[in-house]
Amino acid sequence: MQVSERMKHIRNFSIIAHIDHGKSTLADRILEATQTVSKRDMEEQLLDNMDLERERGITIKARAVKLNYRATNGEDYVFNLIDTPGHVDFNYEVSRSLNACDGALLVIDATQGIEAQTLANAYLAVDANLEVVPVINKIDLPSADVDRVRNEVEEIIGIPAQDCPAVSAKSGLNIESVLEKIITDVPSPVGDESAPLKALIFDSYYDSYLGVVVNIRVIDGEVKAGDKILLMSNGTTYEVVEVGTMEPFGLCKGECLRAGEVGYITASIKSVGDTRVGDTVTLAQNPTKEALPGFKAVKPMVYAGIYPADGARYGDLRDALDKLQLNDAALSFEPETSIALGFGFRCGFLGLLHMEVIEERLEREFNLDLITTAPSVIYEIKLKNGEVKMIDNPSNFPQPDTIEIASEPLVKANIITPTEFVGGLMDLCQDRRGEFVDMKYIDTTRVELHYRLPLNEIIYDFFNALKSRSRGYASLDYEIIGYFPSKLIKLDFLLNGEQVDALSFIVHEEKAYARARRITEKLKENIPRQLFEVPIQAAIGTKVIARETVKAMRKDVLAKCYGGDITRKKKLLEKQKEGKKKMRQLGSVQVSPEAFMAVLRLDDES
Amino acid sequence: MKVKSDKANGKSGIYIHIPFCRQKCLYCDFCSFPVASAESIASYVSALVDEIERNAEKYRRRAVDTVYFGGGTPTLLTPKQFEAILTSLGGVFDISHDSEITVECNPATANEQYFAELRSLGINRVSIGVQSANQNELSALGRIHSFGDAVKTVEDAKKAGFSNVSADIMFGIPEQTEESFLFTLESICKLDIPHISAYGLKIESGTPFAKNHKSLVLPDEDSEYNMYETAVKLLSQHGIERYEISNFAKKGYASRHNLKYWQYYDYIGFGVSAHSFVDGIRYSNSRDIKAYVNGLDIRDSFERIDNRAAENEYVMLGMRLSDGIDTTLFEKRFGESFNSKFGPALSPFVKSGHVIFENGICRFSNTGFYVSNYILSSILDM
Repeated sequence: MQVSERMKHIRNFSIIAHIDHGKSTLADRILEATQTVSKRDMEEQLLDNMDLERERGITIKARAVKLNYRATNGEDYVFNLIDTPGHVDFNYEVSRSLNACDGALLVIDATQGIEAQTLANAYLAVDANLEVVPVINKIDLPSADVDRVRNEVEEIIGIPAQDCPAVSAKSGLNIESVLEKIITDVPSPVGDESAPLKALIFDSYYDSYLGVVVNIRVIDGEVKAGDKILLMSNGTTYEVVEVGTMEPFGLCKGECLRAGEVGYITASIKSVGDTRVGDTVTLAQNPTKEALPGFKAVKPMVYAGIYPADGARYGDLRDALDKLQLNDAALSFEPETSIALGFGFRCGFLGLLHMEVIEERLEREFNLDLITTAPSVIYEIKLKNGEVKMIDNPSNFPQPDTIEIASEPLVKANIITPTEFVGGLMDLCQDRRGEFVDMKYIDTTRVELHYRLPLNEIIYDFFNALKSRSRGYASLDYEIIGYFPSKLIKLDFLLNGEQVDALSFIVHEEKAYARARRITEKLKENIPRQLFEVPIQAAIGTKVIARETVKAMRKDVLAKCYGGDITRKKKLLEKQKEGKKKMRQLGSVQVSPEAFMAVLRLDDES
Repeated sequence: MKVKSDKANGKSGIYIHIPFCRQKCLYCDFCSFPVASAESIASYVSALVDEIERNAEKYRRRAVDTVYFGGGTPTLLTPKQFEAILTSLGGVFDISHDSEITVECNPATANEQYFAELRSLGINRVSIGVQSANQNELSALGRIHSFGDAVKTVEDAKKAGFSNVSADIMFGIPEQTEESFLFTLESICKLDIPHISAYGLKIESGTPFAKNHKSLVLPDEDSEYNMYETAVKLLSQHGIERYEISNFAKKGYASRHNLKYWQYYDYIGFGVSAHSFVDGIRYSNSRDIKAYVNGLDIRDSFERIDNRAAENEYVMLGMRLSDGIDTTLFEKRFGESFNSKFGPALSPFVKSGHVIFENGICRFSNTGFYVSNYILSSILDM
C-alpha cells in the first residue's frame, strides 16, 4: 500500500446520525462553507433531492458529492462527502456506503444525546474501520448540554470527544472547525495505483440518457472510458462509456478515476439490478484477485399486495413499478391476482419505511390510487413431506395439517429510552411477544433495552406505539437474527359467507382472537349498509372465531324534490353513482377502497 | 334526436314561486326571504306579471291545466295579487276550465275569509305546511306556528269550501321518536283531508341545520325506516294510498301538478329560482331577487336534454310512482326497448325483490321504495 501526494489531499467521509439530529443540515453547511455551493443557489438540504426525503427529513438513497476545500494551512483538498440512508430498513446500504469512506462524522444532538441509531451507526462505522469524528450539533438551543454529550460519547461509544467540534449547523456556528477536523482526523485513502482495478459500488441509479450511473470508490488501480470492466458478483462485463465525478450540480465528465477517488462510471448498463450495491468492479482482462468482502444481495423483508384502486389502471401500475425498479434494486414485484382486488402485484420491500416510500411515490409521481394489503414478513414453513416453503403471501399458507414446523423471522431490537418509560415499553415488547435479553443503564436517566422480537410484530405499527408510549423519546434499532419456530396460523375473513382473500393474514396463535375481533369490528364500522344483511366472520380453517353483522340498508333519503328541481335530484344520483364506481366488489358486498384501507390499517395502540 | 313531446297525453303545468316567509325555517334551503314590507311583495308581483307577459310570444297560448303557487309562503300575497297573476297567465296561456290551481300555505297566514276569496278566483287546492303535531319538534325546526294553528288553518280552508286540501309532514326531524311521529300521523288523519306529503328531512348545506349538524339529535336510520313504514300503513288504513314515494292521496286526489314532474310533462316556472322543463330544455331562473325585480332575465342553469338523458330522467322520475313505468309508453316515447336498455341492470334488484317487473310494468316493491336512490343510481346510465 502506498499513499501518493495526490491521495494525501483526498478525504472520503460520510455523515451519520440518529434521525433529526441534523445530518442533512450539517451537509448543507459543509457545501456552503467549501463554497462549492453559494448560499444563493442553495436549496434547503441539497443532498436530499427527492421530494419525499425533504418532507420526511430523512435520506432514502445514498449519494455523494465532491467538494473542494482550501484549508487554513493553505493547501487544497478534495472532500468526497458520501451521504448515507438514515433508517434501519437500509442498514446494508449504510454499511456499503461506509465502506467507501475512510472516516465518518457522527452527528449528535446536544439536547438529546446518544440515541439508538447513533449507536447503531457508530458501530457500523467502527466495523467498517472508519475513523469516527463526533460532532455535537444544535448547541444554539437553550437545552443543549455539550459536556454531558461529550461524556456520553466517551463512555458509551468509547471514542475521545473532549475536543470534538460543537456546532450549530442551523446557524452555521463553528462549521470551520468541522472542516479542519476532517483534514486532521479523517485519514487520507490508501491504495495501490498500479494494482489491477478494484472499486466498490456504493450506489447506482438509472438515467434515461446515460443508462445506469454507477457510483464507485476506487480502492486500487484506475478506470477510464473504453476499459472493459467486470462486475465480480455476477460475472457480467461492460465497456466503460464515461467516467467522472459527482459535483453539487451534476455529473462532471473526467479522464479517469484513480485509487482513493470517488466518482461514477457509465457503461450502457440497462438495469440497476445488475449493479448491486457492495459489488466489486474490476478489469475484465486484468482482474483483481479477490472481491471486496461483505457483498450480499439485498433481500426484501416485508411483502404486501399493491393493487390499483381503479382496476383499469393495472397497466399504469406495472409501468410505474418498472420505472421505480430502474432505480431501486431492493424493490421486487410480481403479478398476483386477488379474487377481491383483481389484478395487482406482490411487492417486496426492505422494510415498512421502504414500503411507505414506494407507495407514496406511486401515488404522487404516477398519480395512482392504491389499495395495499396488510404487510407480511416471509415465513418459513417445513412441511411433513420434508419440503420447505418460504411464504410471503398469506394466500399460499399451507393447510395446517400438512405443516411440520412453521418459523418466523426474529430481530434483535435495541431500544434506548429515558428510564421513566421503561415499564411501558417492556409491556409493549411483552405484548408483541418479545423475549427480554437484557437492560443496561447508559447513565442515570437513560436505559438501553434489548429484546428479541418477531419481525411481524414490528411491522404492525410497533414504531408508532413505541413513540406514543415514550412521548417520542424512545428510539429503536433492530437487525434480523434468523428464523425460529412459532405457532403460526392463517386467519381468514368471510363477508356474506365468502372468503375475502385480500384480508387474510398469518398471525401467532395467541394473537388470533384479539385481532380477529378487532378486524371484524373494523369491517363492521367501515362496510356501508348493503341492500341485504352482511355477516362478517373471522375463521381459522373452518372454525369461526369472531362474528359481526352489518345490518341491511333500511332507507335512503326521501327528501322533497322541490318545484320541479330535477337537476338537483339528478346530481345527487350522479354523485352516488360516481361513489359506486369506486367500490370494490368483495363477493356480493360493495366496499369502498377507503373502507378497505381503514380495515387494513392496523393501529394496535387504538 | 329531439325529445318527442307528449302533448297528446298531458298539457303543461305552471309553477309560480313566491319567495317570502315570515321567518325562514332552520332546515330550509329553498329560495325564500324574510318578508321586508308590503311594497317589496307588490314589486315582486309586478315583476312576475312582467315575466309572464314578456313570454307571451314564446308560449302562444300553450294549453295548461295546472297552476301551482309554491314558496316561501304564497299566502303572504293578497287575494288581489293572486288575481293579477292569474289574469296575466290567462292572457298568455290557454288555461283549461277544469285546471288544478294550488296555493301553498303556512299555518296562521290565512283565515276563512282569505280562503274564500282565493276560491272565488278559481283556486281549488291548498297545501298546508303542518310538518308535525308536536310543539317541541316544530320549535326545533324553527317553525313559527303551533299545531293548533295548523288545525285551525285546515278547518278554515274547509269551511271556505276547499275539499282538495293537502298537508305536508316530516319525519327524521330533531327530537322526533317513532311514537311522536305516530302521534303526528294520527292527528293528521283526524283532520280528514284527502292528500298528505311525507318528506324525510335532509340536511342541506348552507342551512343552520348543516352548521349545527353534530348537535342535532336525529332519529337513526332504523327509526326513520319505521316511521316511513308506519306512515304507509296508517295512511292506507285511512284510504290514503301512496301514489309517489313521498305523496299519499285518496282516490282522485293525487296532485295533478306534481304528477307533471314524475310523468315527464312540460312545466313552466315563473319567479326567482323557478325551474322549467319546456320542449326538451331544463332551465332555472336566478335566485337573485333584486335583479329579478329589476326585470332582468338571469338563468342559473340551462340544459338541453338529449335522448339518453331523457331516458334516464324518465326512469328516475317515473320509478317514483307507485304505478311505476309502463314500458309500452317508454318505447312509444323513445323508440327503444325499456327492457334492453335497463333490464340487465335491473335484474339483480328484481331477483332481490326490490323491483317488480311484470306485465310490461316496472315498479318498486315496498322495500324497493326505501332504497330507491341506491337502486336508481345503480341502474341509470348517467
